[in-house]
Amino acid sequence: MHSGFPFANRIASNLITLALVVLAGGFLASALVRYSPGFDSIPEDLNPDISPATLRVLHEQRSRENSLPVFYAHYLARAIRGDFGVSQNLKLPVNELLRERAPVTLRLILWGTGGGWLLGGLLAWMAVWPRRDALEATASSISGLLLAIPPAVLALVFFFYQAPLGLALSLALLPRVFGTMRALLDDCYASPVLLAARARGVRPIVIAARYVLLAAAPQLFALLGVALVLAFGSAIPIEALCDVPGLGALALQAATSRDMPLLCGMSLIITFFVTLVHAAGDLATGLAGERA
Amino acid sequence: MRRNFKRAAISLLLLIGMTAIFAPSLAPYDYSRQFREAPNSPAGSQFPMGTDDLGRDRFSRLLYATRVSILLAPAAALVSILIALLVAAAAGRVLSGLTTLCLSLPWIFLFIILRATLPLNTRPIASILITFGLMGVAGWAWPARIFAASIRQMKHSGWLLQARASGIASWRIALIHLWPHLRAIAIAQFRVLIPSYILAEASLGLLGLGVAEPLPSWGNLLAELQHPGRVHDNPWILAPLALLMLVMISLEALQPSREVVA
Repeated sequence: MHSGFPFANRIASNLITLALVVLAGGFLASALVRYSPGFDSIPEDLNPDISPATLRVLHEQRSRENSLPVFYAHYLARAIRGDFGVSQNLKLPVNELLRERAPVTLRLILWGTGGGWLLGGLLAWMAVWPRRDALEATASSISGLLLAIPPAVLALVFFFYQAPLGLALSLALLPRVFGTMRALLDDCYASPVLLAARARGVRPIVIAARYVLLAAAPQLFALLGVALVLAFGSAIPIEALCDVPGLGALALQAATSRDMPLLCGMSLIITFFVTLVHAAGDLATGLAGERA
Repeated sequence: MRRNFKRAAISLLLLIGMTAIFAPSLAPYDYSRQFREAPNSPAGSQFPMGTDDLGRDRFSRLLYATRVSILLAPAAALVSILIALLVAAAAGRVLSGLTTLCLSLPWIFLFIILRATLPLNTRPIASILITFGLMGVAGWAWPARIFAASIRQMKHSGWLLQARASGIASWRIALIHLWPHLRAIAIAQFRVLIPSYILAEASLGLLGLGVAEPLPSWGNLLAELQHPGRVHDNPWILAPLALLMLVMISLEALQPSREVVA
């Protein structure tokens, strides 16, 4: 399909993807809540005066009222208004819990991603730019070593030595960022434009700013999006093990207590934001492609 | 130098793999046998790595844990690859949307959601199947996307069009014409997934969502690291971490190049 507005098409395609993913996510979330254990129980179950026949009728009525399509429609309508129901375990509105916990996780993720991105970038630069075998081996070894340690173990070490957990998250992300950044820098290093600039004697700082950072900005932006998602994944064990009252700890708590409304509200919100981040990365890459 | 490193990695993995397979013969005791008179005892001739707080021999548990972690991660990776291949082969718009949805959730979060839908108090063997089975199920999306992209590319190739025009059955095209092209990608993805699953099992074990006691796995052995005082008394508690890191570094050394993976 050809069009005169490829960027507009890209925006439309991303918006459609976002809507479809959220709709599908909402459907799966509502299905999980609808079929979670205990959903079909009613208060009358505990009343010994009600006959089994009456109970059967009441259960049938509840099943009819809560068939999956009806339940999904109600769940989605409420979710759009920001009402994700009430946590079964904590007896608090899910959106209130999310509002309380999200800033803690966001802070941790931003520190972790920022640090991981900077450290990973620095290490990738060390591995590619100076063209020294020793530096490349050192950078690869540091990354390989950090890749071999589970993020949760890193977090425990930082927790016991009372070091900032954001740094633990940065170190957990570093090898993931390093691999992609290294590949990106390798491509930049071999590009004819950069070779020509070096041959012209352009200063290294200008090369770094104009021919590497600016040229690779869309990919770096996309990588930042991926790093944010990875950071959230790594933040879950870190928060759970180090008693950080964030979304990760809440997710684990919801899972162990099988608190489906909470888990589903969280998954819907996270899916929405992650898809948004991916779409932003995709648009940045598309914009760069159009300019090129 | 790199070749030597690869050889050392292969040798080490073979050694650890053989130890895992023959764990029942090599372990001095059963993994669940308790020596109630000797809890938290230091390393010695009777217990080479000491005992845990329930009086179980750490060395025997480490051997069995290696067996669980190192043998089941490839099985989970295989499940992921098979699901990914099936999804990619049938890649309609709905399945493609499902892949996007699965990729929109952090892997561990997806695992937690799936884990929450299943009973938490299970028998140890069931917990192994649930842990590694769910890993396999939760991890199909990324390989599926890569397979789907390769299949899309091949769909426009002349040889495939010719095969279809000749009236060859779809299953035959898939098996005889497509599979040889996908095999290299499948093997590369399989090799990428194994270390991820070993690491994931370790994290899940630390969170208490992995393999259930008394069965040992690297994950639940690492849970002892939550008590730093014990590490000071008996540094052998770090042995599972050291072994895990050795295996991870060895697997990392054998990873395929990025051209093959993507």
